[in-house]
Amino acid sequence: MRQSRGRPGLFPRITALTAPACLALAGCSAPDQSIEIPFSVQFGNEPIACSQAAADMRLSDLRLFVYDFHLTSAPGGEVALTLDDQPLWQGEQVAMLDFEDGTGSCRNGSAATNATVHARVAPGAYTGLRFRIGVPEALNHADPLQAQAPLNHTSMHWHWLTGYKFLRAGIARTDVNEDVATFWIHLGSTRCAGSASDPQGCRNSNRPEILLPGFIPGESMVVIDLAPLAAATGLDEGMSADCSSGPAETSCERPFAIFGLDFASGEAVATPDLIRVTKQE
Amino acid sequence: MSVSKGWVAGMALAVLVAVLVVLSAYERPFRWAVPDGLPLPLVPADNPMSAVKVELGRQLFYDGRLSINGATSCASCHRQELAFTDGLARSVGATGELHPRGSMSLVNAAYTSRLTWANHLLDRLETQALTPMFGEEPVEMGMSGRESTLTELLRSDPHYRAAFPRAFPGDDDPYSILNTVRALATFVRTIVSFDSPYDRYLRGDSGALGAGQEEGMHLFFSERLECFHCHGGLNFTDSSTHANAVVESVGFHNTGLYNIDGAGGYPPGNTGLRELTGDRWDTGRFRAPTLRNIAVTAPYMHDGSIEDLPSVIDHYARGGRNIPEGPYAGDGALNPYKSEFLRGFELSSEERSNLLAFLEALTDRSVLSNEALSDPGAGSASGGK
Repeated sequence: MRQSRGRPGLFPRITALTAPACLALAGCSAPDQSIEIPFSVQFGNEPIACSQAAADMRLSDLRLFVYDFHLTSAPGGEVALTLDDQPLWQGEQVAMLDFEDGTGSCRNGSAATNATVHARVAPGAYTGLRFRIGVPEALNHADPLQAQAPLNHTSMHWHWLTGYKFLRAGIARTDVNEDVATFWIHLGSTRCAGSASDPQGCRNSNRPEILLPGFIPGESMVVIDLAPLAAATGLDEGMSADCSSGPAETSCERPFAIFGLDFASGEAVATPDLIRVTKQE
Repeated sequence: MSVSKGWVAGMALAVLVAVLVVLSAYERPFRWAVPDGLPLPLVPADNPMSAVKVELGRQLFYDGRLSINGATSCASCHRQELAFTDGLARSVGATGELHPRGSMSLVNAAYTSRLTWANHLLDRLETQALTPMFGEEPVEMGMSGRESTLTELLRSDPHYRAAFPRAFPGDDDPYSILNTVRALATFVRTIVSFDSPYDRYLRGDSGALGAGQEEGMHLFFSERLECFHCHGGLNFTDSSTHANAVVESVGFHNTGLYNIDGAGGYPPGNTGLRELTGDRWDTGRFRAPTLRNIAVTAPYMHDGSIEDLPSVIDHYARGGRNIPEGPYAGDGALNPYKSEFLRGFELSSEERSNLLAFLEALTDRSVLSNEALSDPGAGSASGGK
């Protein structure tokens, strides 16, 4: 896997180095430190990609917006991360992850990929991570053509719903390079009121919330495991299905549950089954 | 003093150049083709009308290079001679994908408060233009993720390279998708139609309506037939607005086309406004299209499932369509979500032909052939279709 590797042990070391400088200045707080949060995509415990099959499955798409990152510490404390502004992938405190590279089963993508979130945070002893999949409501209904990166990727626009696709994921069951069955999901807010000129918010937010206890900065990696989606939708038994988040689309109920979302209300009610923590490679 | 004189001369030259630049950018002032006494359309403050922008939008509208196959332009599904529809029951995209619905007329789109068949959100032509270009469900022009291909075309084509800076003066980088949809929307706003025999009759030409058409008009606007409740106003749709409108009108209606299993159901994948709201009361609710030029926009209804105008009248006269067998069997007249205005009516054969004659009096021959709205042609720099 082409991952940007984090450096184990980096975080505690920087914390130790900056502490004395801070003591010299009355009332100062330690400056924020850089942190990288690496993501990877797997099918079960095997890596999967557009051109790399795992259990006869290949990736056909995986692009998502993530935001609202917090690191948590032992006694229930948590601190917000500040995302760096980065060309293409990060801006306005939103990051875009992109695992499709336009090859193999990924027919409509592009070569560019991004698997790492770059942020800054106050030093501390952190033991968990929390974030959301989606675009904050304040940004979700702005004119996407006037938005900054990463909100300017047209493939993530959902023009007729006047918002963004928060996530687009697809899996193709393969058989001698033929995609014999497929599943895809486009996730975004629905049941929106008002209009493009006068947006009034959406009744179903559809923003999954991810809580990852055990995430150690510099040591851990976030894994997106697509196997639960394939199992829940029947793809692993050869059935094709799709879900574009429509409130009347019953085919969305099971994949929504895998994302920890209550389909009827759009509320995040559980940590998604498809996201877990592992040690960095 | 020579320094001062030189400065004055330089200033004069600069002013002259500035004036020439402004004049060349606005060489022809924009004028609406709207008859006196009728309200003008609403235009977004961030995309004002200009003659050069209209002309650029026209080039883009007819340019097949805006699609993944290099051949499908906006005009492929919006043909001028068919009042900017395509004559198909359901439209076909650049990749051959069949759209669940038929192409809507663009005539008087500038006066239309909600632009598509079943979406309460789409009220801006600039936003709507993005859906055919970049939409994926279904694929229409298929440009999702290909924005750099598009902007490269705008930069490299000699015509566009010159036209974009003129249409968007003061823009540091005018070769953008934002400006593309702004130009397209500006052109589409000029597709106005107020010159049908009915319009001329309203303007005082009592001879404009032919045999039976005046009688048909009275039937159309009668409480007995109820047509005008949904197809009323200056654009014959209750989803209309204009610059003098006090309240923006928006309407979506279930016209009893289906009633699958007697439970009010519509065919899967085409259930109307419900697809967006999730509310069962929105099942089968679609926007009333304009009836202007309706005689040239067959087949009818959102899915093209009624072939001709006499059959449409039969459908409304019955108060809903009965499908006796097959997967969509059911009596639409009994659809629980049906509009209260679909009560049905009886017409004599003379009344029926008069009503049809009136609908034909809504055809504006000028908008079907107006050269300013036509394909700028294969001889142009943009290559036409």
